[in-house]
Amino acid sequence: MKKSLSILLILAFMVSVLAACGGGSDGGEEAGSKVEITVLVGKQEIAQQFEEMVKEYNESQDGANVTVVSTAGQNGYERITTLYAAGNAPTIMHFLSEFGEMQSKLADLSDQEWVQNANEGTLDYVTVDGKVYGMPMSVEAFGLLYNKSVLDQAVGGSFDPATIKTRDDLKALFDKIEATGAKAVEISPVDWSLGAHLTSVYMANESDTHEGRLQYIEDLKSGAADLNADEAFNGWLDTFDLLKEYNISKDAPLAALYDDGPMLLADGEVGTWFMGNWAYTQIKEIDPDGEYGFLPLPISNDASDPGNSSISVGVPEYWAIDKEQSTPEQQQAAKDFLNWMVSSEKGQDYYVNKFNFVPAYGNFAVKPQDPVSTSMMGYMEAGNTLAWMNNYYPPEAFPSMAASLQKYLSNNIDRAGLVKEFGDYWKSLG
Amino acid sequence: MYQEKTFFGKLKVFGIFGFIPLFAFCTVIVLPFLIGIYMTFTDWNGSASNSSYLGFVNYADAVRDPAFWTSMWLTLKYVVVNLILTNVLAFVLALLVTSGFKGQNFFRAGFFTPNLIGGIILGFVWQFIFSRVLVYFGSEFGWGLFSSSWLGDPDKALWALIVVGVWQNAGYMMLIYVAGLIGISGSLTEAAGLDGASWLRQLFSIKIPLMIPSFTISLFLTLQKSFMVYDTNLSLTKGDPFRSTELIAMHVYNEAFVNQNLGPGQAKAFILFAIVAIIAILQVSAMKKAEVEA
Repeated sequence: MKKSLSILLILAFMVSVLAACGGGSDGGEEAGSKVEITVLVGKQEIAQQFEEMVKEYNESQDGANVTVVSTAGQNGYERITTLYAAGNAPTIMHFLSEFGEMQSKLADLSDQEWVQNANEGTLDYVTVDGKVYGMPMSVEAFGLLYNKSVLDQAVGGSFDPATIKTRDDLKALFDKIEATGAKAVEISPVDWSLGAHLTSVYMANESDTHEGRLQYIEDLKSGAADLNADEAFNGWLDTFDLLKEYNISKDAPLAALYDDGPMLLADGEVGTWFMGNWAYTQIKEIDPDGEYGFLPLPISNDASDPGNSSISVGVPEYWAIDKEQSTPEQQQAAKDFLNWMVSSEKGQDYYVNKFNFVPAYGNFAVKPQDPVSTSMMGYMEAGNTLAWMNNYYPPEAFPSMAASLQKYLSNNIDRAGLVKEFGDYWKSLG
Repeated sequence: MYQEKTFFGKLKVFGIFGFIPLFAFCTVIVLPFLIGIYMTFTDWNGSASNSSYLGFVNYADAVRDPAFWTSMWLTLKYVVVNLILTNVLAFVLALLVTSGFKGQNFFRAGFFTPNLIGGIILGFVWQFIFSRVLVYFGSEFGWGLFSSSWLGDPDKALWALIVVGVWQNAGYMMLIYVAGLIGISGSLTEAAGLDGASWLRQLFSIKIPLMIPSFTISLFLTLQKSFMVYDTNLSLTKGDPFRSTELIAMHVYNEAFVNQNLGPGQAKAFILFAIVAIIAILQVSAMKKAEVEA
């Protein structure tokens, strides 16, 4: 009797364990009357502020309850694939280069209000057959960030970024900065800055049209593009040589850390730093009242080259809604939440003032006031922008090109070696 | 204690004691491992709902990739140096903290502490030491070796990884050696001492031969840990400069998740498993033969 009872208990235990493991929840139970939706936020720099905003949203209405899911230390896309495999996909997520793989799982957002307000060109990347599948998170820009007080001193007066139109202008400016005792430029040797951002500058200069630039990447793969005879590429490399020569970390260029950048620039030890507007958050902490702005990175000595007076502006991430594992009610609740984020006064306030995002929409009543965003919006309004070609790179392109550029920066390979490594990498894809 | 004769009786005892660990082991180790092997023969990309059978294509891609072998060679160098330094240091420390001086228990705890800190944190702490503290002292006192950060130079960055690896693991191995040293009966060393054997003589003729089991365990653990190191690699160098310090675990991870080549990445992981398993089995079986009884 006792024996059979214990066996029964064991069997019951086994069954319950197996049942608990086998039955995946669909993640869509409604708690009370609220629709439960989840948001995966991979941007650590806004995680805390985002939580606060979600809390306010949950208290402001009783239709949906939003929960923030963290990436648990993985990069965003890894986390997304893990959650999908576990049958527990987030309702709202954000990503960029994985859009091609994810597209079949995403809800169509074409009928949303914000589609009308989005800045021109910001939806190109997520539009397939005339349908929009992603919502631009923000716009970001990179170029040569400068500290105005250092440059004012260098030029003896108020520095105007419009005076820099050619590589020689830039070199003259660098010499003036060095004459004041400061150093001219800081290059952060992090792989995404060199391999994705810096290379994007030359690729964007390859053609005036979107199709032409995409074609250029195809030509690189097929070997049709000859880097040695490539005007934009060689001009860009000459500019990189200039940066390399005036680099404050010239003695140990690869030992420079990203965190050195904001400190050097804000303390006025360097005049310029190749970086983007996201760095202003850190600069502001050191030097809250300083004036900062963007300089273009000229890649030729022809002042009429449009690329020489432009900075690179693009959308770093897109919000997207899952339709594969989310109920129609959840999808609707997700759309409402995203809409609230960019159309309500509260959402816009968080967007601009707490996340420090530069909105990708024309209908924002709240406008960023800080100097870097202002400088960036000046370029955007004048139409002086270059595309972010790194959005179209295959996933291993930026680490490969960054490795070559790091070798070049630290004189481990010469110019011919760099050209060869670039060419070999792209041809390996063809 | 348990003398069950019937099959059900045996099953009951097993169910009480062995089922839960076995179940956990199967679900979190064996099953993913088997699924992983199956994945190496398909073209599944991580998010697609279906995949097709490929055969050995992924393995062919994996062994044809020069970066894989570069990384493997680098890891081998790292493992050998790490293995020797960690165990020599651990053994010396073990001899020191069992020599009977005052406060030796405090030192035992101290040397063991690095092991209690997670590898990620360690990596960041040492990154700060290498790129700020040492550079500061180097430029202040004109030490050429530390004038620029070790992490910016490919060869020195590997040494930086080794320094951190040794520092992290030596304390743990020290404890194993301490246990081995304490386990040697005092009568043996005493007798040898009466016969006029010097301290060194005792060490090489009595202590070390009797401690072979400790060496077996320590060498196995160091081998396995250094082959699989990922956390300190990630937080200390992230594979930089120009991917010259990408150890094999990081290489496999990047291949699978960063470059999104899950099939070849998984194949590399399996090749790595096979290599480490073979080396570890050879090491353990060779050392088992060397064990002696007092």
